[in-house]
Formats: sequence, structure tokens, C-alpha cells
Amino acid sequence: MDVLQAADDLRRRSLINYPRPLDRLIYLASMRDYNTGVYYHDGLASRYSPEVACEAMADCHKEAFRQLVANSLEEVVEQLEAYMASTHTSPGDFVAAWKGLEPYRVAVPVESDPLAAQFLFSTFRVALAILESRLHPSPAAAPAA
Amino acid sequence: MIQLILFLFIGVALLLSVGVLMRPRRAEGGSTALVQARQALSTLQSGLLPADMVARVFDRRDLEYVESQGSPELRKLFLDERTRVALLWVSRVREQLLSLREFHAGSARFYAQLNPLTELSLLFDFSRLLLACRILQVFVYLRGPYAAPRIAGATAAVAAKVCNVSQESLAFLTPAYAAAGANRAARTARF
Repeated sequence: MDVLQAADDLRRRSLINYPRPLDRLIYLASMRDYNTGVYYHDGLASRYSPEVACEAMADCHKEAFRQLVANSLEEVVEQLEAYMASTHTSPGDFVAAWKGLEPYRVAVPVESDPLAAQFLFSTFRVALAILESRLHPSPAAAPAA
Repeated sequence: MIQLILFLFIGVALLLSVGVLMRPRRAEGGSTALVQARQALSTLQSGLLPADMVARVFDRRDLEYVESQGSPELRKLFLDERTRVALLWVSRVREQLLSLREFHAGSARFYAQLNPLTELSLLFDFSRLLLACRILQVFVYLRGPYAAPRIAGATAAVAAKVCNVSQESLAFLTPAYAAAGANRAARTARF
């Protein structure tokens, strides 16, 4: 029950600032310790307990992952474009870094289904290629009206 | 004398045969087989067969969106990526079905109360599904992810039904039982 309350609390106070599933996925992954897989959120931990806060964040992370997997390629491209704009980096640098480092690989929840994870990685690769093609449009590759 | 020895030998051999046949049979693999079957069922039901996941993998709207970008390179990249994911989906479904079929063919009758007709029907369905998976693999490999949408949808639907029958036969296997089985298997593996 506490975990459900904490997750609801997290959605109302923190995740409301991240309306898109991609933003929520990246935010929640950034709150996770890479070495232990444990999520940290001081405010939530002080209101509930570190364990409850961790479990609530893990649940919200899985939820964001499921929502993103369910989105169409077009929606993922739009979200990636919006996320790119929110980082205030140049689109060229952003696409180069994401293609090279593939940061989305460490953004998925630990217990996510391998097929769903592979599907999302594949969607990101295509989405990045679409964004890249928009940065350097060739005459033959002009988007259809 | 030789005849007596021969008769005694035959008698002992017969007694041993009867003893072997009447010995209480143990399931092959025991708790490990149960845990593996449970895991295969869970992977199929929660990861591979949900209709929304199957629909996403074979969603034509994504292709239409990529085609609207007007780039043959993007189209090729997309089709290569989606073919890879579709093949991964089919091979994982096949792998988990094989694991479940192995359990039903080997150990299930020692645990589950299935009547022979249901068991036979289940094994027939498994064979049919495995064949459908092979055909789908060939189609997807040769002609891409959108070559056989009906086979993909039908395979997922029949596999889901088979999983439900299989789940009923494994209903006795509660999570607590499965956890205990996993512990036993881990202990066995250590020695």
C-alpha cells in the first residue's frame, strides 16, 4: 500500500514535470545507482522509507518503459526531438552522441523483457537515423508533403 | 544342472524386470523442469505473446511513417531493424514453446492431472505451433517482417491458447512452490 502511495506521490510531485514517457524513462534511470541498481530520491525516502521510495521509483520506471514501447515510431521520433531540444545541445552533437554512446541502453529497467528492450533499442536507432536525415537532407530524401 | 542354472537365471532376470517396471517413477529433471516450465510460460504470457507487443513488432504504420520520409536508406534501415526484431520474436517464442513441450512430454504427467486426450491434443498443438514458427521464420527472413502478418497473428493467438491450457495443468505450481523448487535446483547445482 505504501509503495502505491509513494508511486502516486512521485507521479504528482516529480513526474508531472516530465509529460513524455521518454523524459520520464531518462529521469528515472538517472535516479538509479549504476552499481547497485537502487533508486534514490531524498524527498520520497524522507516521506516514506528508502526501500519504499526505491520500489515506487522502480514501478514508475517500468511504467514509463511500457508506455514508450507502446508508442509508434512517429511518436518516439517526436519525443526524441523534444527531448533533444530540452537539452539545449546542438542537434548534430546530440545525434552523434546518442548514435555513438547509445545511452538508451542503460535507461531501461533491470527486469524489462529482453524482446521489448531490443525492440526499443531498434526503434531508437531508426528514430536517430530519421533525425540525422533531417539535419542533412539530401535532395532525394525530402519528406513527403 | 545346466538347465537348472538357465531357468534360475531367466527367473532372476524376469523378477528384476518386474521390479524395474513397478518401481515408482520419478520425473526427469524434477523441480528444475518445473521451474523451467513455469519460466517459459511466464516469458510467453507476459513478454512475447501479449497482443499489444505482437501488434507493435508487426505494426505497418511504422513502415508507412518511414516511407513518408522519402529516403530509401531509411526504409532499408527500418526494414533491416524490424526484420531482426521479428526474427528474434519468432525464435524466442519457438524456444519457449520447445521448453514447455519438453516439460509436457517428459515430466508433466508426474505432476499434473491431465487426461491423456488433453495431453495428446496439447502435444499436437505444440507441434503445429513449432511448424508455424519455422514457416514464419523463413517468410520473415526472405521477405521481411510484413510478409506474413496473418501467420504471425494466428501463431500468437494459438500459442496464447496453448499457454492457457498449459497454465491450467501447472496451476498447482504456485509462486511459493516455484521458489522452493528454484532453491532446491540451486542447491543441487552447487553440488
